[in-house]
Amino acid sequence: MCGLAFAWLSGCAVQTTALRSRPPSDLPGAAELSATPFFAQTAYQCGPAALATALAAIGIDAAPAWLAEQIFLPARTGTLQTEMLAGARRHGAVATRLLGTLDALLREVAAGHVVVVLQNLGLSFAPRWHYAVVVGYDVVAGDVLLRSGGTQREVIAMRTFEYTWARSGFWAFVASRPGDWPVTAELDAAAEAAVGFERSASPAQALRVYDSALQRWPDSLTLAMGQANALYAAGNKARAAELFEATARRHRSAAAWINLSGTLLELGAPQAALDAARQAVGLDDEPWRARAAQALEAAQRAQLP
Amino acid sequence: MRAPHFQEHDMSKFRRLLALVVATCISCTGFMPAANAGLISTEQVAASEGLRTAEQQRSHVLETLQRADVAQALAERGVNLDQARARVAALSDAEAAQMAAQIDTAPAGADGLLGTVVFVFVLLLITDVLGYTHIFPFVRPVR
Repeated sequence: MCGLAFAWLSGCAVQTTALRSRPPSDLPGAAELSATPFFAQTAYQCGPAALATALAAIGIDAAPAWLAEQIFLPARTGTLQTEMLAGARRHGAVATRLLGTLDALLREVAAGHVVVVLQNLGLSFAPRWHYAVVVGYDVVAGDVLLRSGGTQREVIAMRTFEYTWARSGFWAFVASRPGDWPVTAELDAAAEAAVGFERSASPAQALRVYDSALQRWPDSLTLAMGQANALYAAGNKARAAELFEATARRHRSAAAWINLSGTLLELGAPQAALDAARQAVGLDDEPWRARAAQALEAAQRAQLP
Repeated sequence: MRAPHFQEHDMSKFRRLLALVVATCISCTGFMPAANAGLISTEQVAASEGLRTAEQQRSHVLETLQRADVAQALAERGVNLDQARARVAALSDAEAAQMAAQIDTAPAGADGLLGTVVFVFVLLLITDVLGYTHIFPFVRPVR
Protein backbone atom coordinates (compact mmCIF):
# COMPACT_ATOMS: atom_id res chain seq x y z
CA MET A 1 0.00 0.00 0.00
CA CYS A 2 2.83 2.35 0.78
CA GLY A 3 4.26 1.62 -2.63
CA LEU A 4 1.00 2.63 -4.18
CA ALA A 5 0.84 5.76 -2.11
CA PHE A 6 4.37 6.60 -3.04
CA ALA A 7 3.60 6.14 -6.70
CA TRP A 8 0.80 8.62 -6.33
CA LEU A 9 2.96 11.03 -4.45
CA SER A 10 5.73 10.93 -6.99
CA GLY A 11 3.43 10.88 -9.99
CA CYS A 12 2.57 14.08 -11.73
CA ALA A 13 -0.75 15.70 -12.40
CA VAL A 14 -1.06 14.11 -15.82
CA GLN A 15 -4.44 15.49 -16.74
CA THR A 16 -3.62 19.03 -15.69
CA THR A 17 -0.40 19.01 -17.65
CA ALA A 18 -2.11 17.67 -20.76
CA LEU A 19 -5.04 20.02 -20.48
CA ARG A 20 -2.96 23.12 -19.95
CA SER A 21 -0.38 22.37 -22.63
CA ARG A 22 -3.01 21.52 -25.25
CA PRO A 23 -6.31 23.07 -24.20
CA PRO A 24 -9.24 21.56 -26.17
CA SER A 25 -10.39 24.14 -28.71
CA ASP A 26 -14.05 23.61 -27.84
CA LEU A 27 -13.55 24.16 -24.11
CA PRO A 28 -13.86 27.75 -22.90
CA GLY A 29 -10.60 28.89 -21.31
CA ALA A 30 -12.31 29.91 -18.11
CA ALA A 31 -15.74 29.74 -16.53
CA GLU A 32 -17.24 30.56 -13.18
CA LEU A 33 -20.74 29.88 -11.94
CA SER A 34 -20.53 32.74 -9.48
CA ALA A 35 -24.24 32.72 -8.68
CA THR A 36 -23.87 29.32 -7.01
CA PRO A 37 -25.04 29.64 -3.41
CA PHE A 38 -22.76 28.83 -0.52
CA PHE A 39 -23.47 26.87 2.62
CA ALA A 40 -20.61 26.93 5.08
CA GLN A 41 -20.13 23.54 6.63
CA THR A 42 -20.54 23.00 10.34
CA ALA A 43 -18.27 20.60 12.22
CA TYR A 44 -17.61 17.60 9.97
CA GLN A 45 -20.59 18.10 7.76
CA CYS A 46 -18.99 18.87 4.41
CA GLY A 47 -21.23 16.27 2.71
CA PRO A 48 -24.54 17.92 3.59
CA ALA A 49 -23.09 21.36 2.85
CA ALA A 50 -21.82 20.29 -0.59
CA LEU A 51 -25.10 18.58 -1.41
CA ALA A 52 -27.12 21.60 -0.30
CA THR A 53 -24.96 23.78 -2.55
CA ALA A 54 -25.44 21.51 -5.56
CA LEU A 55 -29.20 21.28 -4.98
CA ALA A 56 -29.58 25.02 -4.46
CA ALA A 57 -27.69 25.59 -7.71
CA ILE A 58 -30.56 23.89 -9.57
CA GLY A 59 -33.22 25.62 -7.50
CA ILE A 60 -33.92 22.87 -4.98
CA ASP A 61 -34.10 24.25 -1.50
CA ALA A 62 -32.66 21.91 1.11
CA ALA A 63 -31.05 23.16 4.28
CA PRO A 64 -27.78 21.44 5.19
CA ALA A 65 -29.06 20.70 8.69
CA TRP A 66 -32.05 18.89 7.22
CA LEU A 67 -29.87 17.00 4.75
CA ALA A 68 -27.49 16.07 7.52
CA GLU A 69 -30.26 14.17 9.24
CA GLN A 70 -30.69 12.09 6.12
CA ILE A 71 -27.17 11.47 4.94
CA PHE A 72 -24.84 12.08 7.85
CA LEU A 73 -23.62 9.20 10.02
CA PRO A 74 -22.93 10.75 13.42
CA ALA A 75 -20.73 7.94 14.73
CA ARG A 76 -18.49 8.17 11.69
CA THR A 77 -18.60 11.93 11.42
CA GLY A 78 -19.04 11.57 7.71
CA THR A 79 -21.25 10.86 4.74
CA LEU A 80 -21.10 7.90 2.37
CA GLN A 81 -20.70 8.58 -1.32
CA THR A 82 -23.77 6.54 -2.14
CA GLU A 83 -25.75 8.56 0.37
CA MET A 84 -24.79 11.73 -1.43
CA LEU A 85 -26.34 10.33 -4.61
CA ALA A 86 -29.36 8.97 -2.77
CA GLY A 87 -29.80 12.23 -0.87
CA ALA A 88 -29.86 14.20 -4.11
CA ARG A 89 -32.49 11.86 -5.55
CA ARG A 90 -34.68 12.07 -2.51
CA HIS A 91 -34.87 15.80 -3.09
CA GLY A 92 -35.99 15.40 -6.67
CA ALA A 93 -32.66 15.74 -8.46
CA VAL A 94 -31.12 13.26 -10.88
CA ALA A 95 -27.66 12.35 -9.60
CA THR A 96 -25.35 11.23 -12.38
CA ARG A 97 -21.80 10.06 -11.85
CA LEU A 98 -19.24 11.65 -14.15
CA LEU A 99 -16.31 10.16 -15.94
CA GLY A 100 -13.30 10.84 -13.78
CA THR A 101 -11.58 13.22 -16.14
CA LEU A 102 -10.65 16.82 -15.65
CA ASP A 103 -11.88 17.46 -19.17
CA ALA A 104 -15.39 16.20 -18.32
CA LEU A 105 -15.39 18.15 -15.08
CA LEU A 106 -14.52 21.44 -16.75
CA ARG A 107 -16.98 20.85 -19.59
CA GLU A 108 -19.79 20.46 -17.07
CA VAL A 109 -18.88 23.73 -15.41
CA ALA A 110 -18.65 25.42 -18.81
CA ALA A 111 -22.14 24.06 -19.56
CA GLY A 112 -23.47 25.53 -16.34
CA HIS A 113 -23.48 22.46 -14.10
CA VAL A 114 -21.72 22.61 -10.76
CA VAL A 115 -20.00 19.32 -9.90
CA VAL A 116 -19.82 17.67 -6.49
CA VAL A 117 -16.42 16.06 -6.01
CA LEU A 118 -14.87 13.89 -3.36
CA GLN A 119 -11.32 14.82 -2.48
CA ASN A 120 -8.80 13.20 -0.27
CA LEU A 121 -6.95 16.18 1.10
CA GLY A 122 -4.55 13.92 2.98
CA LEU A 123 -2.59 11.00 1.70
CA SER A 124 -3.88 7.61 0.67
CA PHE A 125 -2.60 6.03 3.89
CA ALA A 126 -3.76 8.93 6.05
CA PRO A 127 -6.90 10.07 4.29
CA ARG A 128 -8.73 13.25 4.94
CA TRP A 129 -11.91 12.95 2.94
CA HIS A 130 -13.72 16.03 1.87
CA TYR A 131 -16.65 16.92 -0.36
CA ALA A 132 -16.55 20.16 -2.32
CA VAL A 133 -18.40 21.71 -5.23
CA VAL A 134 -16.54 22.76 -8.36
CA VAL A 135 -17.98 26.07 -9.61
CA GLY A 136 -15.27 27.38 -11.90
CA TYR A 137 -11.86 27.03 -13.51
CA ASP A 138 -9.24 28.93 -15.42
CA VAL A 139 -7.08 26.85 -17.71
CA VAL A 140 -4.54 29.60 -18.36
CA ALA A 141 -4.06 30.48 -14.70
CA GLY A 142 -4.26 26.80 -13.82
CA ASP A 143 -6.93 27.22 -11.16
CA VAL A 144 -10.03 25.39 -10.03
CA LEU A 145 -12.69 27.28 -8.05
CA LEU A 146 -14.61 25.56 -5.30
CA ARG A 147 -17.32 26.05 -2.75
CA SER A 148 -15.49 24.17 -0.06
CA GLY A 149 -15.89 23.79 3.68
CA GLY A 150 -15.95 27.23 5.21
CA THR A 151 -14.55 28.95 2.14
CA GLN A 152 -17.01 30.52 -0.24
CA ARG A 153 -14.61 30.89 -3.15
CA GLU A 154 -11.62 28.66 -2.80
CA VAL A 155 -9.00 29.00 -5.49
CA ILE A 156 -6.97 25.83 -5.70
CA ALA A 157 -4.16 25.06 -8.15
CA MET A 158 -5.49 22.71 -10.81
CA ARG A 159 -2.66 20.26 -10.27
CA THR A 160 -3.23 20.21 -6.51
CA PHE A 161 -6.90 19.67 -7.16
CA GLU A 162 -6.08 16.80 -9.48
CA TYR A 163 -3.91 15.17 -6.82
CA THR A 164 -6.60 15.40 -4.16
CA TRP A 165 -9.29 14.26 -6.57
CA ALA A 166 -7.21 11.36 -7.90
CA ARG A 167 -6.90 10.03 -4.35
CA SER A 168 -10.68 9.65 -4.20
CA GLY A 169 -10.66 7.71 -7.45
CA PHE A 170 -11.88 10.80 -9.36
CA TRP A 171 -15.32 10.54 -7.77
CA ALA A 172 -17.74 13.20 -9.03
CA PHE A 173 -21.39 13.67 -9.80
CA VAL A 174 -23.77 16.26 -11.16
CA ALA A 175 -27.19 16.83 -9.63
CA SER A 176 -29.57 17.98 -12.35
CA ARG A 177 -33.24 18.67 -12.74
CA PRO A 178 -35.28 15.83 -14.26
CA GLY A 179 -35.00 16.14 -18.02
CA ASP A 180 -31.60 17.79 -17.93
CA TRP A 181 -28.44 15.67 -18.24
CA PRO A 182 -24.76 16.38 -17.71
CA VAL A 183 -23.24 17.14 -21.11
CA THR A 184 -20.52 14.54 -20.59
CA ALA A 185 -22.73 11.81 -19.12
CA GLU A 186 -22.30 8.31 -20.52
CA LEU A 187 -25.04 5.77 -21.05
CA ASP A 188 -24.20 3.46 -18.15
CA ALA A 189 -24.04 6.30 -15.67
CA ALA A 190 -27.23 7.83 -17.07
CA ALA A 191 -29.10 4.52 -16.91
CA GLU A 192 -27.98 4.02 -13.34
CA ALA A 193 -28.99 7.57 -12.47
CA ALA A 194 -32.40 7.16 -14.10
CA VAL A 195 -33.08 3.84 -12.41
CA GLY A 196 -32.01 5.26 -9.06
CA PHE A 197 -34.19 8.29 -9.62
CA GLU A 198 -37.22 6.18 -10.54
CA ARG A 199 -36.96 4.50 -7.14
CA SER A 200 -37.83 7.63 -5.21
CA ALA A 201 -39.70 9.70 -7.80
CA SER A 202 -43.27 9.97 -9.03
CA PRO A 203 -44.03 8.11 -12.29
CA ALA A 204 -44.49 11.44 -14.07
CA GLN A 205 -41.05 12.64 -13.01
CA ALA A 206 -39.46 9.29 -13.84
CA LEU A 207 -41.08 9.42 -17.25
CA ARG A 208 -39.57 12.79 -17.89
CA VAL A 209 -36.13 11.46 -17.03
CA TYR A 210 -36.49 8.41 -19.28
CA ASP A 211 -37.93 10.45 -22.15
CA SER A 212 -35.02 12.87 -22.06
CA ALA A 213 -32.44 10.08 -21.71
CA LEU A 214 -33.88 8.20 -24.70
CA GLN A 215 -33.51 11.26 -26.88
CA ARG A 216 -29.82 11.08 -26.23
CA TRP A 217 -29.35 7.30 -26.02
CA PRO A 218 -32.14 5.90 -28.22
CA ASP A 219 -30.62 2.39 -28.38
CA SER A 220 -30.77 1.56 -24.69
CA LEU A 221 -33.05 -1.31 -23.71
CA THR A 222 -32.93 -0.32 -20.05
CA LEU A 223 -34.04 3.23 -20.79
CA ALA A 224 -36.78 2.05 -23.17
CA MET A 225 -38.11 -0.32 -20.53
CA GLY A 226 -37.91 2.42 -17.95
CA GLN A 227 -39.95 4.70 -20.15
CA ALA A 228 -42.65 2.10 -20.73
CA ASN A 229 -42.69 1.05 -17.08
CA ALA A 230 -43.04 4.68 -16.01
CA LEU A 231 -45.95 5.16 -18.40
CA TYR A 232 -47.57 2.05 -16.99
CA ALA A 233 -47.03 3.28 -13.45
CA ALA A 234 -48.48 6.65 -14.42
CA GLY A 235 -51.65 4.83 -15.50
CA ASN A 236 -51.23 5.25 -19.26
CA LYS A 237 -51.40 1.55 -20.00
CA ALA A 238 -52.41 1.80 -23.64
CA ARG A 239 -49.35 3.87 -24.51
CA ALA A 240 -47.19 1.68 -22.28
CA ALA A 241 -48.35 -1.37 -24.25
CA GLU A 242 -47.34 0.30 -27.53
CA LEU A 243 -43.89 1.03 -26.16
CA PHE A 244 -43.47 -2.43 -24.66
CA GLU A 245 -44.26 -3.90 -28.05
CA ALA A 246 -41.91 -1.58 -29.92
CA THR A 247 -39.16 -2.35 -27.41
CA ALA A 248 -39.83 -6.08 -27.54
CA ARG A 249 -39.50 -6.12 -31.31
CA ARG A 250 -36.56 -3.79 -31.51
CA HIS A 251 -34.47 -5.44 -28.82
CA ARG A 252 -35.91 -8.96 -29.05
CA SER A 253 -36.49 -8.58 -25.33
CA ALA A 254 -38.37 -11.28 -23.44
CA ALA A 255 -38.80 -8.87 -20.53
CA ALA A 256 -40.62 -6.42 -22.78
CA TRP A 257 -42.88 -9.18 -24.18
CA ILE A 258 -43.68 -10.28 -20.62
CA ASN A 259 -44.60 -6.76 -19.57
CA LEU A 260 -46.61 -6.32 -22.77
CA SER A 261 -48.52 -9.49 -22.00
CA GLY A 262 -49.33 -8.39 -18.46
CA THR A 263 -50.38 -4.95 -19.62
CA LEU A 264 -52.61 -6.35 -22.39
CA LEU A 265 -54.33 -8.61 -19.89
CA GLU A 266 -55.14 -5.60 -17.78
CA LEU A 267 -56.38 -3.80 -20.88
CA GLY A 268 -58.79 -6.68 -21.55
CA ALA A 269 -57.03 -8.11 -24.59
CA PRO A 270 -56.37 -11.73 -23.58
CA GLN A 271 -55.67 -13.02 -27.07
CA ALA A 272 -53.01 -10.41 -27.74
CA ALA A 273 -51.62 -11.05 -24.26
CA LEU A 274 -51.33 -14.74 -25.10
CA ASP A 275 -49.46 -13.93 -28.32
CA ALA A 276 -47.05 -11.70 -26.43
CA ALA A 277 -46.44 -14.32 -23.75
CA ARG A 278 -45.74 -16.90 -26.47
CA GLN A 279 -43.18 -14.55 -27.97
CA ALA A 280 -41.52 -14.24 -24.56
CA VAL A 281 -41.44 -17.99 -24.08
CA GLY A 282 -40.20 -18.46 -27.66
CA LEU A 283 -37.16 -16.28 -27.06
CA ASP A 284 -36.12 -18.69 -24.32
CA ASP A 285 -34.01 -16.05 -22.67
CA GLU A 286 -32.50 -17.54 -19.54
CA PRO A 287 -33.02 -14.74 -16.98
CA TRP A 288 -36.70 -14.40 -17.90
CA ARG A 289 -37.61 -18.04 -18.50
CA ALA A 290 -39.62 -18.46 -15.29
CA ARG A 291 -41.38 -15.13 -15.68
CA ALA A 292 -42.21 -15.91 -19.30
CA ALA A 293 -43.78 -19.21 -18.25
CA GLN A 294 -45.82 -17.42 -15.60
CA ALA A 295 -46.97 -14.84 -18.14
CA LEU A 296 -48.04 -17.61 -20.51
CA GLU A 297 -49.93 -19.36 -17.76
CA ALA A 298 -51.72 -16.15 -16.77
CA ALA A 299 -52.65 -15.42 -20.38
CA GLN A 300 -53.92 -18.97 -20.89
CA ARG A 301 -56.01 -18.74 -17.76
CA ALA A 302 -57.54 -15.55 -19.12
CA GLN A 303 -58.69 -17.40 -22.25
CA LEU A 304 -61.04 -19.56 -20.20
CA PRO A 305 -64.62 -18.41 -20.21
CA MET B 1 -7.12 -0.88 0.35
CA ARG B 2 -6.69 -4.02 2.39
CA ALA B 3 -5.90 -7.25 0.65
CA PRO B 4 -8.65 -9.79 1.22
CA HIS B 5 -7.12 -12.53 -0.92
CA PHE B 6 -5.97 -14.79 1.84
CA GLN B 7 -9.54 -15.14 2.98
CA GLU B 8 -11.04 -15.79 -0.37
CA HIS B 9 -11.52 -19.50 0.11
CA ASP B 10 -13.25 -19.10 3.41
CA MET B 11 -15.27 -16.23 2.14
CA SER B 12 -16.62 -18.23 -0.76
CA LYS B 13 -17.80 -20.95 1.60
CA PHE B 14 -19.22 -18.21 3.68
CA ARG B 15 -21.08 -16.73 0.74
CA ARG B 16 -22.51 -20.08 -0.21
CA LEU B 17 -23.88 -20.38 3.27
CA LEU B 18 -25.25 -16.88 3.07
CA ALA B 19 -26.88 -17.62 -0.26
CA LEU B 20 -28.44 -20.74 1.16
CA VAL B 21 -29.74 -18.92 4.20
CA VAL B 22 -31.16 -16.11 2.14
CA ALA B 23 -32.69 -18.48 -0.41
CA THR B 24 -34.36 -20.37 2.42
CA CYS B 25 -35.66 -17.18 3.95
CA ILE B 26 -37.06 -15.99 0.66
CA SER B 27 -38.76 -19.29 -0.10
CA CYS B 28 -40.45 -19.50 3.27
CA THR B 29 -41.62 -15.92 3.63
CA GLY B 30 -44.05 -16.15 0.76
CA PHE B 31 -42.05 -14.28 -1.81
CA MET B 32 -43.70 -16.30 -4.58
CA PRO B 33 -45.66 -13.98 -6.78
CA ALA B 34 -49.39 -14.48 -7.12
CA ALA B 35 -51.21 -15.06 -10.41
CA ASN B 36 -50.46 -11.63 -11.72
CA ALA B 37 -46.78 -11.33 -10.99
CA GLY B 38 -46.66 -7.67 -11.90
CA LEU B 39 -44.36 -6.20 -14.47
CA ILE B 40 -40.63 -6.66 -14.68
CA SER B 41 -39.02 -3.61 -13.16
CA THR B 42 -36.55 -1.38 -14.91
CA GLU B 43 -33.97 -2.29 -12.31
CA GLN B 44 -34.30 -5.96 -13.13
CA VAL B 45 -33.87 -5.17 -16.82
CA ALA B 46 -30.83 -3.05 -16.04
CA ALA B 47 -29.40 -5.91 -14.01
CA SER B 48 -29.99 -8.36 -16.84
CA GLU B 49 -28.27 -5.96 -19.17
CA GLY B 50 -25.25 -6.39 -16.98
CA LEU B 51 -25.47 -2.83 -15.88
CA ARG B 52 -26.21 -3.62 -12.25
CA THR B 53 -26.71 -6.58 -10.02
CA ALA B 54 -29.74 -7.95 -8.27
CA GLU B 55 -32.32 -6.39 -6.09
CA GLN B 56 -31.87 -8.97 -3.37
CA GLN B 57 -28.91 -7.05 -2.06
CA ARG B 58 -31.21 -4.37 -0.84
CA SER B 59 -33.51 -6.80 0.88
CA HIS B 60 -30.48 -8.27 2.66
CA VAL B 61 -29.66 -4.89 4.02
CA LEU B 62 -33.28 -4.16 4.87
CA GLU B 63 -33.73 -7.54 6.53
CA THR B 64 -30.68 -6.73 8.57
CA LEU B 65 -32.34 -3.64 9.87
CA GLN B 66 -35.31 -5.64 11.17
CA ARG B 67 -33.23 -7.36 13.79
CA ALA B 68 -33.42 -6.05 17.33
CA ASP B 69 -29.70 -6.36 18.01
CA VAL B 70 -28.93 -4.64 14.75
CA ALA B 71 -31.35 -1.86 15.54
CA GLN B 72 -29.70 -1.45 18.91
CA ALA B 73 -26.23 -1.40 17.40
CA LEU B 74 -27.40 1.26 14.99
CA ALA B 75 -28.95 3.28 17.78
CA GLU B 76 -25.69 3.11 19.73
CA ARG B 77 -24.01 4.65 16.71
CA GLY B 78 -26.50 7.44 16.51
CA VAL B 79 -28.52 6.16 13.56
CA ASN B 80 -32.30 6.14 13.78
CA LEU B 81 -33.81 2.94 12.37
CA ASP B 82 -36.37 4.69 10.18
CA GLN B 83 -33.70 6.91 8.75
CA ALA B 84 -31.56 3.87 8.04
CA ARG B 85 -34.45 2.15 6.23
CA ALA B 86 -35.16 5.24 4.19
CA ARG B 87 -31.52 5.43 3.26
CA VAL B 88 -31.43 1.86 2.04
CA ALA B 89 -34.64 2.42 0.11
CA ALA B 90 -33.15 5.40 -1.66
CA LEU B 91 -30.08 3.52 -2.84
CA SER B 92 -30.08 2.19 -6.37
CA ASP B 93 -29.61 -1.55 -6.76
CA ALA B 94 -26.06 -0.95 -7.83
CA GLU B 95 -25.30 0.92 -4.67
CA ALA B 96 -27.08 -1.62 -2.48
CA ALA B 97 -25.07 -4.30 -4.24
CA GLN B 98 -21.91 -2.36 -3.62
CA MET B 99 -22.74 -2.22 0.06
CA ALA B 100 -23.60 -5.89 0.19
CA ALA B 101 -20.48 -6.75 -1.79
CA GLN B 102 -18.36 -5.46 1.02
CA ILE B 103 -19.03 -8.73 2.74
CA ASP B 104 -16.46 -10.13 0.32
CA THR B 105 -13.75 -7.80 1.42
CA ALA B 106 -14.60 -7.46 5.08
CA PRO B 107 -12.14 -8.99 7.50
CA ALA B 108 -13.97 -12.16 8.44
CA GLY B 109 -11.62 -12.77 11.33
CA ALA B 110 -12.83 -16.25 12.13
CA ASP B 111 -12.09 -18.85 9.49
CA GLY B 112 -15.63 -19.89 8.74
CA LEU B 113 -16.27 -21.08 12.30
CA LEU B 114 -18.22 -17.97 13.09
CA GLY B 115 -20.21 -18.23 9.92
CA THR B 116 -23.51 -18.32 11.70
CA VAL B 117 -26.53 -16.43 10.59
CA VAL B 118 -26.10 -13.86 13.31
CA PHE B 119 -22.55 -13.30 12.29
CA VAL B 120 -23.66 -12.79 8.73
CA PHE B 121 -26.19 -10.22 9.79
CA VAL B 122 -23.86 -8.46 12.14
CA LEU B 123 -21.19 -8.39 9.49
CA LEU B 124 -23.72 -6.97 7.07
CA LEU B 125 -24.57 -4.37 9.64
CA ILE B 126 -21.01 -3.45 10.23
CA THR B 127 -19.80 -3.43 6.67
CA ASP B 128 -22.88 -2.50 4.71
CA VAL B 129 -24.87 -0.19 6.85
CA LEU B 130 -22.14 1.60 8.67
CA GLY B 131 -19.30 1.03 6.27
CA TYR B 132 -16.81 -0.08 8.87
CA THR B 133 -14.59 -1.44 6.19
CA HIS B 134 -12.47 1.21 4.64
CA ILE B 135 -13.06 0.15 1.10
CA PHE B 136 -15.96 2.48 1.06
CA PRO B 137 -14.41 5.78 2.01
CA PHE B 138 -16.09 7.64 4.80
CA VAL B 139 -15.73 11.30 4.87
CA ARG B 140 -13.66 12.91 7.54
CA PRO B 141 -13.46 16.41 6.29
CA VAL B 142 -11.20 19.21 7.30
CA ARG B 143 -12.69 21.64 9.75
